[in-house]
Amino acid sequence: MSVKPVVGGRPVVHFALVIAALAGLMLVAGALDAALAQGGPFGAPRAQAPAPPMGGVLGWIFAKQAEFYRQFSSLIRAAKADGSAAWGLFGLSFLYGVFHAAGPGHGKAVISSYMVANEETWGRGVVLSFASALLQALVAVVLVGIAAALLNATAATMKRAVDLIEILSYSLIILIGVRLLWVKGRVFLTTLRTLHRPAAVGAAVTPAHSPHGHGHHDHQHDHAHDHAHAHDHGHAHADHDHDHHQHCDGHAHDHAHHHHDHDDHASAWGHAHAPEPEELAGPGGWKRGLSAIVAVGLRPCSGAILVLVFALAQGLFWTGVVSTFIMGLGTAITVAAIATIAVFAKSWAKRFADTRSGYGMLVMRGIEAGAALVIIGFGVLLLTGYMVSERMVGL
Amino acid sequence: MIYRFCLSVLAVLVGAAITGGAASAHPHVWITVKSELVYAPDGSVTGVRHAWTFDDMFSVFALQGLDSKKKGEYTREELAPLADVNVTSLKEYDFFTYAKANGGKLEFNDPQAGYYLDYNTKESVLTLFFTLPLKAPVKAKDLSLEVYDREYFVDFSFAEKDPVKLVGAPAQCKLSVARPQEMGAALSQQLSQLGPNQRDPSLTVGAEFANKILVKCP
Repeated sequence: MSVKPVVGGRPVVHFALVIAALAGLMLVAGALDAALAQGGPFGAPRAQAPAPPMGGVLGWIFAKQAEFYRQFSSLIRAAKADGSAAWGLFGLSFLYGVFHAAGPGHGKAVISSYMVANEETWGRGVVLSFASALLQALVAVVLVGIAAALLNATAATMKRAVDLIEILSYSLIILIGVRLLWVKGRVFLTTLRTLHRPAAVGAAVTPAHSPHGHGHHDHQHDHAHDHAHAHDHGHAHADHDHDHHQHCDGHAHDHAHHHHDHDDHASAWGHAHAPEPEELAGPGGWKRGLSAIVAVGLRPCSGAILVLVFALAQGLFWTGVVSTFIMGLGTAITVAAIATIAVFAKSWAKRFADTRSGYGMLVMRGIEAGAALVIIGFGVLLLTGYMVSERMVGL
Repeated sequence: MIYRFCLSVLAVLVGAAITGGAASAHPHVWITVKSELVYAPDGSVTGVRHAWTFDDMFSVFALQGLDSKKKGEYTREELAPLADVNVTSLKEYDFFTYAKANGGKLEFNDPQAGYYLDYNTKESVLTLFFTLPLKAPVKAKDLSLEVYDREYFVDFSFAEKDPVKLVGAPAQCKLSVARPQEMGAALSQQLSQLGPNQRDPSLTVGAEFANKILVKCP
């Protein structure tokens, strides 16, 4: 990658900052707008919104998942008559899962924002996606298993159960967002203050040329980032739970310190960064991911519940259970793919931001804090019913 | 360089937009609609009589946990509590029924008593029968009736056979049914130029794709 020297970098960075700030606003506004378009099914006034997008890729996805979903009942009936038809059902469940996750649902939105806010590794994103999707399937199976199969509860009772779970799930999302905003917002403000010190401004020198990519950048930037580095450590100690997600910029330095090995820098830049065992299993590693998994995976997919109840009525509950888990697998693949896009988009943005000295870092911190805001926004909209990602129809 | 940086910020945004912006759903309920427009002897429209048949998966779901004397069969009386739930829930959504006469919107009252659910054992589907009376009967030269869910959680479509009947209408009234149409290339392009969350007030996609009944009584 060849990087041209930039003269008068600061206005450019200011421009970038404005963009980042706008970006955060747009995200929140976008979520709001989408929400209003969805209307308020709980008595809130509904906007004169048109039907869902019917054209383009999204329209195709919606059409596909509806088409797959429509085939469930006939395939379950077929499986009742002939056991081998269950394989067709399982195949359909997988496809439905893949397409379904590309459509509505807050899961991937929250996970992706969480990934952006935390500068999580790709590996963790995949683990998060799979764990939350499987939990989602499990909740559906347990709910229908207990409510319908054991207690013979009515559809209305199950709807109330889902409504309760929904409230819990959305509240958790808000909590996660608030916690992230507290951590990331403080880091952002600290970075902002650091940048206004003369020393930091002096360090705002852009590297001239680096034919060999990022390794070179690292060394250039170790110095420029010194201030943030010190602050990161301060925070890490103040708040142990968050130590590990101070990856942005601080990441490289953290690792260097853990390993006492500067060659590690190359892998510390987000790309080609395999999940390291200590990150996944280390203190707070699983624990902090767990909250996101639970928040996202708690609310079962309405479609899965309907399929399970229908299978139960046909005397094929266990076929329905397998089908639900396969659906979850398909969902996980899509969510993991989207989370991957989010992670790589961010590390790509970071690569450019990093060449811009401390201001670039500020932008990254801003994006992280913005992503935390987006999570809160999603949670609030979902909780207040202004955004409906799925409706358990109580007709 | 600036552009590339902006591009990168944009990439993050696009990622977020894909994930968050597409807050739309696919339906979990399919309803086949048969409707009747009811006319008074003086030629004014008094209300709409609906017969909505739910798809089998939703029907079976709705019947979950419901007691019946004969297994697999449900009488109207046994289904009465469910019909109450249906009608009460539908109120929140204005019964998904939108009518216009002579260019103005028509208002409906809540359904009259006497709504009920029927269960078709052979096809294991439920059908909900209910009548929506107009607040004020209207004599209309041009009347349109649409049945659709703006949020598309419920997919409505008119029955293939006899989707609409006019009951007691003046002889000169002519009925036509517009079904959801394929999206034209022009509209498709117009939509693609909108951002994921933008709305163009000149586009009424929901109505465009709805099931529409038109009655002309010259």
